[in-house]
Amino acid sequence: MFDRHQDLKTIRRCKRGEEAAFAEILGRYRGAIYNLCYRMTRNSEDARDLGQEVFIKVFSLLDRFDENYAFSSWLFRIGTNHCIDHLRRNRLRFLSLDGGVGPDGEEYEFQLPDSGPGPDTVLQRKEALERLEEVISELPPHYKAITLLRHDQQLSYEEIAEILQLPLGTVKARIHRARNQIQQMLAARSYDI
Amino acid sequence: MYGRKNKSDQPLGCKECKQGLQEYLDGTLEKPESLRFFLHLRECTACQEEHDRLQGLFRMLESLPDHEVPADFDGAVLASVPYAAYQAMEPLRRDRVPVFLEEAFLPRFVRARVTRLVGLGVASVAMALALRGDGSVLLPVLIVTGLLPEIVVRLQGLGRRALETTRRAES
Repeated sequence: MFDRHQDLKTIRRCKRGEEAAFAEILGRYRGAIYNLCYRMTRNSEDARDLGQEVFIKVFSLLDRFDENYAFSSWLFRIGTNHCIDHLRRNRLRFLSLDGGVGPDGEEYEFQLPDSGPGPDTVLQRKEALERLEEVISELPPHYKAITLLRHDQQLSYEEIAEILQLPLGTVKARIHRARNQIQQMLAARSYDI
Repeated sequence: MYGRKNKSDQPLGCKECKQGLQEYLDGTLEKPESLRFFLHLRECTACQEEHDRLQGLFRMLESLPDHEVPADFDGAVLASVPYAAYQAMEPLRRDRVPVFLEEAFLPRFVRARVTRLVGLGVASVAMALALRGDGSVLLPVLIVTGLLPEIVVRLQGLGRRALETTRRAES
């Protein structure tokens, strides 16, 4: 999806202090990072701040970037971790149908389903997508991140494993559980997508 | 996660189908395994419905709308980049070579002109004897050992020059 070779050439220009190269990287990844942050937080101001912080961090740490790996993986790793840290700092509670403690050791709080539309309501596609975004935003941070990397960024399991520095089996198991949870949450709210 | 071996000739059950449906839709199953799913789904209405539901979810997840990046996004980022620091670091970075290409990587006695000249002399004599038909098994060893200091020093120099050329081309 992202051109690793092109990225590497641009990063080397950045390391020489070329202003245009930084703007190029920003232009290439600004949308992906902003949307990742937006979907993680579902708040446009937080998404802007977090996205900017991610790029500021990346641009100040370019000397630490290992050229044996894809730049996009490094960027998404920093972006994902930054969003997860933000969500944890803000102590948001996430919906879990099971409640209790999740696989990441994070406590969930059981919530009653929203009073959404009835099952007979025919939803427009736009509304359905908004509801799906709403449900995704309520997933625990790790499930949310993995779902977005897989489906929104359309990355392979192998790329996600590299980004999140997790074994391939764990990535597969988490994404399966995340999808199951999304289905259950949609059903609990009678959201028909 | 979902995996069975030596079962590709058996028909798939509904329980197995439900367990492996996500991997089937992800396209990560082996071909024979994928075929078992295909055949089962063709016959089983309940599993087909589950398949369609999950496929619908996958499609929706992949078509989430992009949100527009705020117009003032770039300004703060680009203003914070330490351009001057990167520019100042560049000569240091450019001059840096891998450890094995640094002169000090080789022991001083290997690099010494005397060692290299003596080595070349020994190798020359050994080669001359070998050409005259002396069949001693020591000669090849002497040739290689004699040439070795000169070869490694020259290879290191070539490596450094190649690196400089590559860097010049990149810049």
